[in-house]
Amino acid sequence: MLTIIKNTFREALAKKIFIGYYIFYAIVVLIMLFAVNLDAVEGIVSFADIKQVIISVETGFLSLSFNLILFFSLISTSSFIPSMLEKGTIDLLISKPISRFTILMSKFLGAVLFVAVSMVFLIGSIWLILSLKSGYWSPAFLSSILSLTLAFAVMYSITVLIGLLTNSSVISILINFFMIFVLCPVLSIRESVIFTFVKNESVQFVFNFLYYIFPKPGEIKDVTNAMISGDNIAMWKSTITQNEMGLTSIEPAWMAVISSLIFCAVVMSYSVYYFSKKDY
Amino acid sequence: MHVIETQNLSKEYTAKFSKQKVNALNDFTFKVKQGEIFGLLGPNGAGKTTLIKMLLAITFPTRGDAKLFGTDVKNYKAKTKVGYLPENHKFPSYLTGEQVLSYYGQLSGMKDDSNMTKRIDEMLGMMNLTQWRKTRIKKYSKGMMQKLGLAQSMLSDPDLIFLDEPTDGVDPIGRKEIRDILHEIKSRGKTIFLNSHLLSEVEMICDRVAILNKGDLIKEGNVDDLTKAENIFAVHTVEPIGMDIKQKVMAIDPNAGIGENEINSEAGIDKINGIIDLLRAEKIRIQTINQKTSTLEELFINVIKKDNTN
Ligand SMILES: Nc1ncnc2c1ncn2[C@@H]1O[C@H](COP(=O)(O)OP(=O)(O)OP(=O)(O)O)[C@@H](O)[C@H]1O
Ligand SMILES: [Mg+2]
Repeated sequence: MLTIIKNTFREALAKKIFIGYYIFYAIVVLIMLFAVNLDAVEGIVSFADIKQVIISVETGFLSLSFNLILFFSLISTSSFIPSMLEKGTIDLLISKPISRFTILMSKFLGAVLFVAVSMVFLIGSIWLILSLKSGYWSPAFLSSILSLTLAFAVMYSITVLIGLLTNSSVISILINFFMIFVLCPVLSIRESVIFTFVKNESVQFVFNFLYYIFPKPGEIKDVTNAMISGDNIAMWKSTITQNEMGLTSIEPAWMAVISSLIFCAVVMSYSVYYFSKKDY
Repeated sequence: MHVIETQNLSKEYTAKFSKQKVNALNDFTFKVKQGEIFGLLGPNGAGKTTLIKMLLAITFPTRGDAKLFGTDVKNYKAKTKVGYLPENHKFPSYLTGEQVLSYYGQLSGMKDDSNMTKRIDEMLGMMNLTQWRKTRIKKYSKGMMQKLGLAQSMLSDPDLIFLDEPTDGVDPIGRKEIRDILHEIKSRGKTIFLNSHLLSEVEMICDRVAILNKGDLIKEGNVDDLTKAENIFAVHTVEPIGMDIKQKVMAIDPNAGIGENEINSEAGIDKINGIIDLLRAEKIRIQTINQKTSTLEELFINVIKKDNTN
């Protein structure tokens, strides 16, 4: 198992994925440096102000780039399954005294661990810069390493299944894009936006149903942001409220994380089942 | 216990969007003993690769079952002491030759220690790849890839090795070396299962062969027996055979083929001796007596032709 995980790391490194990551880090880190310097120049006096600024920089960063980082990680790892399934490669892999379950899970875990390590670098360096510049050391932001990895694992299960079914990385990228940027956001705002003009109950039921079974990367991000700013997190139901000025605020729910994990477990179970039965 | 054992192993492929079926293998039952080099022959599409894949549980049989070392192949532990060289194998191109061996060695259950390093050195040396060990395999030639694949299949010193077209793309010197390596492995009691089109080679390497055509087993046996199967003896004489002697020979074997200085007979050893007595009595000197053998290639072409016309 460890061997396959190690090789997945090697594959990731060989594909120069990390170069993409590092370009991304460099840009983000540079922006951070400028932003924080600017604040310092304008002169923030109290420690409470600094704390507030840092929290808003951190949550602002996540709001803008959580989905992008997630999607980028998915693109860069999407070819792992199709390349494993190539004729001449998969034959040899299966001929080894390893169960198919172990083969597939190692590939999955290899990709997840690779993204986790990348996130430690990305989020860790941003956190370090912000903390050094501001003198405000709060580990809450580091929880986004976990939540990004988690969101990745959930969405990667889709990549694995689509990869197994179609042997294609392009299709899985397209489906991931649709899920992250279209379907999941639409489902999250179904109550506050869509149901204001869709009154049909069975249609509403379908929306609710899809909402509960599909993964919720956006809401995993909301949970992380709430943790960083110390806001309330509900257990079961997230609520979106609009104040008088028209600003929306979200109280996220742990349910989003739990249901996403269940989704991941179900999709991976089916993937393993499918992989164990298939002729190569 | 047999190293390989199958019972009515069958595979039917169904095309996705039609009802057409391909019988890649029909009720294949056979056994391979320890220490044998078993050759599987057959024209393209005969089902050779399909059989190996089923023996390694890469593809699942439609019917029947297969065992390696007495363990059903559905259990992945049956593959613990098995090496495999797939046809058109493909290693991760970002690895070097040495890393490929280390990766697949570990997947075969070897420990990443000095013993494995020693074994890798040994295999690379054996395949003349030592100077290429640190080169990424995308730069390897076809023959080098094939040798690396062979090295991979033998690395963990398995008791049973499946080779699908092992000498494909390898030059004659390399092929000779591979033959020697296979004999060496056999001498250590290992079993080898080989797929090949190169009949002369199979003839040199294998103890026993099976010929497969369109999924059916049409001939099986020891190489020596198969190639000597035809009981034709040729007697060459120094003096020419005259008309009167010809008639006397025909009296012994009416089907004998008689030429100027040659008599061919399939009538069995006693009649041949009768013919020789006759010739000697006529003061005809005998130069040579041969049992005619057919090459594996002749046999192969004959049986496939026969099977296809039936
Ligand atoms: N995945 C598959 N789907 C459908 N048919 C297949 C599949 N794999 C093999 N076949 C069919 O099964 C038959 C046997 O194929 P196989 O690869 O075993 O032949 P082979 O004897 O190894 O041939 P070659 O000498 O060309 O390697 C062929 O008719 C082939 O078309
Ligand atoms: Mg073949």
